Amino acid sequence: MTQEATDNGILVEGLIKEFPGQRVLDGLDLAVADGEFVCLLGPSGCGKSTLLNILSGLDSDYRGTVRFGGRAMAPGGKPPLTIGYLFQEPRLLPWLSAERNVDFALENSRVPRSRWGDIKDRYFALTGLQPFRDYYPHELSGGMAQRLSLVRALAIEPDVLFMDEPFSGLDELTARRLRVDLLDIWRETGKTILFITHNSYEATFLGDRVVVLSQGGIHNQISVDVPRPRDYDDAALFQVGKTVSATFIEAAEAAERARARGTRSSH
Amino acid sequence: MLLKLGSMLAVVAAWFGLSLLLPGTVLPGPWQTLNVLIENVADGQVHQHLLATLGRVAGGLALAMAVGVPVGIIMGLNRFAEKTLDIWVMVALTVPSLCYAILAFIWIGLNETAAIVAIGLTSAPSIAINLWEGVKNIDTRLFKMAKVFNASRWVIVRRVLFPQVLPYIMASLRFGLGIVWKITVLVELLGRPDGVGFQLFYWYQLANMGQVLAWTLLFTLVMLFIELVILQRLERRLFAWRPEVRL
Repeated sequence: MTQEATDNGILVEGLIKEFPGQRVLDGLDLAVADGEFVCLLGPSGCGKSTLLNILSGLDSDYRGTVRFGGRAMAPGGKPPLTIGYLFQEPRLLPWLSAERNVDFALENSRVPRSRWGDIKDRYFALTGLQPFRDYYPHELSGGMAQRLSLVRALAIEPDVLFMDEPFSGLDELTARRLRVDLLDIWRETGKTILFITHNSYEATFLGDRVVVLSQGGIHNQISVDVPRPRDYDDAALFQVGKTVSATFIEAAEAAERARARGTRSSH
Repeated sequence: MLLKLGSMLAVVAAWFGLSLLLPGTVLPGPWQTLNVLIENVADGQVHQHLLATLGRVAGGLALAMAVGVPVGIIMGLNRFAEKTLDIWVMVALTVPSLCYAILAFIWIGLNETAAIVAIGLTSAPSIAINLWEGVKNIDTRLFKMAKVFNASRWVIVRRVLFPQVLPYIMASLRFGLGIVWKITVLVELLGRPDGVGFQLFYWYQLANMGQVLAWTLLFTLVMLFIELVILQRLERRLFAWRPEVRL
């Protein structure tokens, strides 16, 4: 029991999600090991965001099973563990200072108030935001705001981190820095991370494994057996990235063909 | 601030210039008007009428907000409510304020309640529309964020919805105040034995332009005070987090 409770892996089996007239997830199987960093790559409309909505408990209307470390979803589709979430945009509350934004997440978490101070000190320092604790979101740059939302996600001591294209709205230089920082934090905390992206090289640089989705299922998966810490200009990483990119394009084209077929047959 | 002061001085100067051209019974000058106002204040009559009017303004505004704000918020958030209510809000907006006043005085009687009901119901549709438009602009993505971070429904309403709606409530408060002032005077003229509106009508019947202008001036000064000193400061304090305060 205790052993199970410390396992924060994710197991998805036969996941089906339908919207009127459209099957977005079509029997998806996915296993993420405890502490693993998995990147989900896929063309738009492949069901990435739908999957994350289900896993994070925002959407409980689906078929199939979802288990976290062997534990089923709680009633109402709530995950049985703590989820940290990073959105594509920072989604900060603009009327609260940086620190109060983190407090907002803490107030709704299980973390006892006595530990808030230490936790905040740690993650504000780790992300370099220590001097900006009293700043309002509109006073922060895009990169700083996204760092703050990373602090917010980490502060509630999540068992699993879900990241939905969190760096896609940033300039490449800022995004690179944040990716390196994220890997440092991941190494230090050992969290299970599910990271959605449509950037092949980002997926390769970050992940232990890249899962390419297409048409509501797994198109292919690629292990990234490049030792860490990784370097952006590593030739081996670039080679894997090329394979990932080719697989991604293949998946996108397959999805397009399927869509075209579907449009024809429906007429 | 300097620009505001300059434009005020210019208008007073124009008033003064015009009053030199017209007979005193048609347009008394700024000094004469101010003197009449000061005499009125010295008489001790002003505060009684002013308080009566202010009470009706406050009561009417409170009623208008109590009706208009919830209707506006619900219409902004819920498509079904929007579709079923928008025609009625439009109808309520179209009915002249005089009709509300006459109906209220006939149905409820020539009393304070009727006056406040008339003022409140006349202004409520404008406030509802103001809020309805505003609430459509709120960021619903923040609700999803709060949900992911395990916030309860009540926490989401109180800490994510309310702060976003508050600027629109404040804006409609100021906007509503402007409407309520004007209606209050009309309602007083029609069915109340005191208040600024009653005084205006009284002096109008006696064709005393000095008094009419003095009461108008008083009214304008009090209104400006409430708007510039109280409401703007409150708003600035409440919305310090905003990139810039909209005035």
